[in-house]
Amino acid sequence: VSWETLWRAVFYAAFAAFVVISLLIAVFGLAEIRETFASWRTRRDGGGPRQG
Amino acid sequence: MTHIGLLDWAIIGVSLAATLGLGLAVKRHVGSLEDYLVASRGMGLYVGTASLVSTEIGIITYMYQAQFGFLAGFSAFVVGLLTLAVCVFVGTTGFVVSRLREMEIMTVPEYLEKRYSRRVRILAGLFMAFGGSLNLGIFPIIEARFLSVVLGIDARHVAWTMAALLLMALAYTALGGMVSLLLTNYLQYLILAAGTVVVTIACLGAVGWTGMSGAVRDHLQGRGTDPLADLGVGFIFWQLLLWVAFMTVWQSVAMRTFSARDPATVRKVFTLTSGLFLGRAVIPMMWGIAALAFFWGRAQPLPAAAEPPAIEMQRLEADLDRTFATDLSAGRLEALLPPVERLETLAAEHTGEHAKRAAASARAKREEIGLVAMPWMLSSLLPTGLLGLVIAGMLAASVSTYAGYFLGWSAVIAQDVVAPSLQRELSPKARLLLTRATVVALTLFIMAWSLLYEVPGPAYFYLQVTANLFMAPTLITIVAGLYWKRASPAGAHLAFLLGAAASLGYLVPGLRLSVATAGNLSWALAALGLLAGSLLFPRRGLASAPEAAA
Repeated sequence: VSWETLWRAVFYAAFAAFVVISLLIAVFGLAEIRETFASWRTRRDGGGPRQG
Repeated sequence: MTHIGLLDWAIIGVSLAATLGLGLAVKRHVGSLEDYLVASRGMGLYVGTASLVSTEIGIITYMYQAQFGFLAGFSAFVVGLLTLAVCVFVGTTGFVVSRLREMEIMTVPEYLEKRYSRRVRILAGLFMAFGGSLNLGIFPIIEARFLSVVLGIDARHVAWTMAALLLMALAYTALGGMVSLLLTNYLQYLILAAGTVVVTIACLGAVGWTGMSGAVRDHLQGRGTDPLADLGVGFIFWQLLLWVAFMTVWQSVAMRTFSARDPATVRKVFTLTSGLFLGRAVIPMMWGIAALAFFWGRAQPLPAAAEPPAIEMQRLEADLDRTFATDLSAGRLEALLPPVERLETLAAEHTGEHAKRAAASARAKREEIGLVAMPWMLSSLLPTGLLGLVIAGMLAASVSTYAGYFLGWSAVIAQDVVAPSLQRELSPKARLLLTRATVVALTLFIMAWSLLYEVPGPAYFYLQVTANLFMAPTLITIVAGLYWKRASPAGAHLAFLLGAAASLGYLVPGLRLSVATAGNLSWALAALGLLAGSLLFPRRGLASAPEAAA
């Protein structure tokens, strides 16, 4: 395998990984934010124990 | 000249306003220092990954990676592979990060007090604050170059633009701390990812892979594909060490470790991040190579010279000195590349003082061109609307980086230098106030430093060396603290002093240390210092297990 072929494969793999993981973050991150802030709100309102 | 329009300004304005609004809206969730610094340790996998990556990607990242690609071609990609390997290693083994998360600490030097002594904590905090501030201090200088080109703002007004960005990051970081960061980082990540995809597709469409390959083959003087020959084994080895340290003990990264829900989440964050960190390096490096191809595609060949080569070298040097600054600031890079390349060729064919001076001058000019080539290419390539989206992405990336770094370095200064140096114990409320005041002071320092300092050599090397000066001794003392029971406070002191001195050698012009030599020497001396200091001055009560001490 030549260096150039290797770098081409590395670049396209990096770009594909960037797109796929970004989509995962976009979809699942929103649900995670809602969940985290809901737990903080509960705690602030005196409804649950502190984490950590 | 840039063609930024009303639509672009609207996109930029809405994105910045949304970030600021979100950051300020959640500040009410901050009640304690633990909320402020580590968001009550409630960070999950996806938000954690977005927060980590958006903090570690700013305009500065895109600029120095693109410059590295412009100068080193595809060989630069090896750094991306190293970061991928290190992230996967840390993610699968939990090396250092799992243990640090289990300890429920809030800063890296906090561990050093538990394992060694309070003095080691303060010394480490001082070096981190010093190196971290020097590192962060050039961000606005480099980023101002980008904004000046793509926004078409006069250089005199760029300082005010940067000040506005810093103040915006300051506002929500000082008030909301990590709680605000986690939310704003999520939004910022989505915008910066969209901008990154747009720019990459635009580069591939404009010059294509074949164009980039041709530019590397024809215009990097036979270099550009083989990293072992171009960058050297020493450089690659140093990068490997540095990236291990970066992923484990770099304060802004470590704060995500400390903020995670549990050690298992930390490991998952690093595993998921590995693909993004590969892209963080390789994608903007490709933009730099695309810029090389883009401007060479517009360049005209130089007419054949009638004079002897030595005279031609003198003439080219004088011509470039006269026109370089004007052409660079007008984005006429296609007019600069042929004479710079010709000067490099002539200097390589000759010996003597004049040839050396000409080679140094050509190298410095190529570095300067490499720094601004990517933004000049973007302002030519992208149509209105897309340009606004890309700039919004870049600004989001930068604001998130400033916010994350302000919080990270301020936490170290306040918690590890100022508070332990006081003769009395501070209340939690006073510590929170102190950290907030430090965020403000650090912001003011960064603004002042960015106006005064001139970066020596490629930005990539400067940033790595200023980080290395404390990361080498920090990782070595932490690993020794966790896994070697004989490691002593005296050894830790020596590790920090020797490790930092070797890195600082790169910044002293008279010493002429190469970046790889300074970097590797720093690691070697830090390890040697720890070993010698620990064996010569063992710690008291060696019988107690280090795990118990930690």
